[in-house]
Amino acid sequence: MRNRFDEQLFELNKKIIEMGAMCEEAIASAAKALTTGDVVLAGKVKADSNAIDQMEREIESCCMKLLLHQQPVARDLRLISAALKMITDMERIGDQAEDIAEIVTFLNGHTMEGMEVIGDMARETIQMVTSSVDAFVKKDVTLAEEVITRDDVVDDYFSRVKHGIINLITENSADGEFALDLLMISKYFERIGDHATNIAEWVIYSVTGTRKEV
Amino acid sequence: MTSKILKSILSVAVAVLLSSIIIITGVFYQYFGEVQENQLKDELSLAASATEQLGERYLEGLDSSRYRLTWVASDGTVLFDSHADATAMENHEDREEIKEALISGTGSSTRRSSTLTEQTIYEATRLDDGSVLRISVSRATALLLVLGMLQPITIVFVIAIVLSAWLAHRMAKRVVEPLNKLDLDKPMENDVYEELSPLLHRIHAQHMEIKSQMLILKQKQDEFDQITVNMKEALVLLDNTGRILSINPAARNLFHTGIDCIGEDFLTVERKQNMRLALEEAKVQGHSDFRDKKNSKEYQFDLSRIDSNGKNHGMVILAFDITERVNAEKHRQEFTANVSHELKTPLQSIIGSAELMENGIVKDEDVPRFIGRIRKEASRLVTLIDDIIRLSQMDEGIEMQYEDVSLFALSEEICDTLSDAAKMKNVSLKVTGDDGVINGVRRLLYEVVYNLCDNAIKYSNLGGSVKVSVVQKPDTVCLSVQDTGIGISPEHQDKIFERFYRVDKSHSKQSGGTGLGLSIVKHAVQYHHGKIIVDSELNKGTIISVLFST
Repeated sequence: MRNRFDEQLFELNKKIIEMGAMCEEAIASAAKALTTGDVVLAGKVKADSNAIDQMEREIESCCMKLLLHQQPVARDLRLISAALKMITDMERIGDQAEDIAEIVTFLNGHTMEGMEVIGDMARETIQMVTSSVDAFVKKDVTLAEEVITRDDVVDDYFSRVKHGIINLITENSADGEFALDLLMISKYFERIGDHATNIAEWVIYSVTGTRKEV
Repeated sequence: MTSKILKSILSVAVAVLLSSIIIITGVFYQYFGEVQENQLKDELSLAASATEQLGERYLEGLDSSRYRLTWVASDGTVLFDSHADATAMENHEDREEIKEALISGTGSSTRRSSTLTEQTIYEATRLDDGSVLRISVSRATALLLVLGMLQPITIVFVIAIVLSAWLAHRMAKRVVEPLNKLDLDKPMENDVYEELSPLLHRIHAQHMEIKSQMLILKQKQDEFDQITVNMKEALVLLDNTGRILSINPAARNLFHTGIDCIGEDFLTVERKQNMRLALEEAKVQGHSDFRDKKNSKEYQFDLSRIDSNGKNHGMVILAFDITERVNAEKHRQEFTANVSHELKTPLQSIIGSAELMENGIVKDEDVPRFIGRIRKEASRLVTLIDDIIRLSQMDEGIEMQYEDVSLFALSEEICDTLSDAAKMKNVSLKVTGDDGVINGVRRLLYEVVYNLCDNAIKYSNLGGSVKVSVVQKPDTVCLSVQDTGIGISPEHQDKIFERFYRVDKSHSKQSGGTGLGLSIVKHAVQYHHGKIIVDSELNKGTIISVLFST
């Protein structure tokens, strides 16, 4: 009985890692499509996002089954409840990657001239997502805390992008639609950073049993 | 053990007890029966003679509680009975002992009472008057005797049980004690029951077998470890649930993980999509492979399912560093593309000129110019092909004849050959320095110096100068060619040795080179294990030095 429970927990762990990896890939593809203006790649992100949604439902039912059938306690219970929260954040990351990719298709190969800072922001955000998944894989509290502090960097990037866009508009060198698209994209990245932070917080909770004070 | 011994001891005790009771009871019963019978006969004969003399008077005066005397008339009527009223008694004529006595004078019989617990023995004798006197006595049966002894028997039985339990316990303990003390690690050193020695021998033999098999296993494991630790390829073994069984140092480096990942799922080490898909594919199809960039190197990943007896036992993941191969492939592709392009250009020019002449468009006075162009392009083609052949020869790495070559003498010879070209550009050409003898392939060294000098003249400005100097040091010879030409900017300096690389992108025919000269120099110098140093400044000039170790 216990053996079976351990096996199911192991399987759950595996699935969360898989979902994390899927998110990493979705956002990386979206960022790549953005910097290269690759519309085909952007189209692929939609499929990735759907797969992530599917995975979320799978993990959800897996967690419910575990809760109902095994009545887990202590650490196991924390892992499962953290998993339930984490997949919501991961699913949001997938959706936002899809949103970014959708804007890229509208941009129609419009280049990011003067806005290279968005590329840096994307790299930083991808790093955050990767680190938060890594923290979950290794159950590494230090790494998770690092992710949480890194959120400030992404927030800082967002304000820089915002100022850049304001400059573009005042110089009249960008049309309004493009400027708004850029703002949306950077906002999405900023949100993804927040979701990565949430994931890191849930990792800390599942390991230590305490929620980080906000 | 104890209960088994107890059972056997107890069963023996009970058997002995029961059989001795039966035998003793039987024997004594028989004996006392005989004694009683004789006594009865004696009593009867006494009573008979007394009755004959005194008649009924004697019988009535007799006070006997032990014996019962019955006097029966010859017709069976009971005349007297010591224990009952004679008149109420039935005719005794048909009683066995009476019948016998009436016929033969004496009779006897034994009858069981209705309760089975008692037995009555009758003795009868005929008196002189034909009447019969019978004496009888009751005695207990053997069964009653045994029943009477039930209490002592039970006590003995209980004692037997307790005794045998105690004995059994002690015996079991004593039997088992040496067995428990057996040192199974050294079975032959035990000194216990002889009956155990086959077992000990067997254990000893199995010990030896296990030891030797463990040794073989350990050797194999060591071999495997040695191979996997030292191999450059990354190797990971997974079990059928995807957990890591073994991961070699190369793989640990590749996936940035430690030895503690053994037993974890492989997903925790590498979770990229292409790896996940490849794992799935290999699980279904038995094999899959893919290429991926990792740590800025190109790797080829091969995944194979391990099957044995139709059962899936796990997975082998092998990763090779194929960066060099990929680069070489890329180079080869570029080279092929370049060669075709370079070969096509002069040919196109030849065809164009020939076509113009064929169609009679060219004026007669222009014909020599066109023919001249065709010849020039054709000879360019030949030089190009020559260069390619030379390069491919060096690529093949054919062993060539080594000899002592003086770089100074060689340089002078080449400068002689190139003096015409130098004069045309009004470039001064000078060779200075030591003898500089090295052991090498003359033909290749000629190519090196020729190409360097040729380039120096080609890229020199009008009226410039080219200096060739040979400097001999204790264990190196340095040949450097210095010009005052256009120079090479730093970003091009690494690339000029690549095949068909031109600083001037227009591939101008002006200079007349093939784009392979410096590539030949590089290969020839590499062939001699030498080193090339480029020192150049744009519009100032270039010094290319070649270092050979002697």
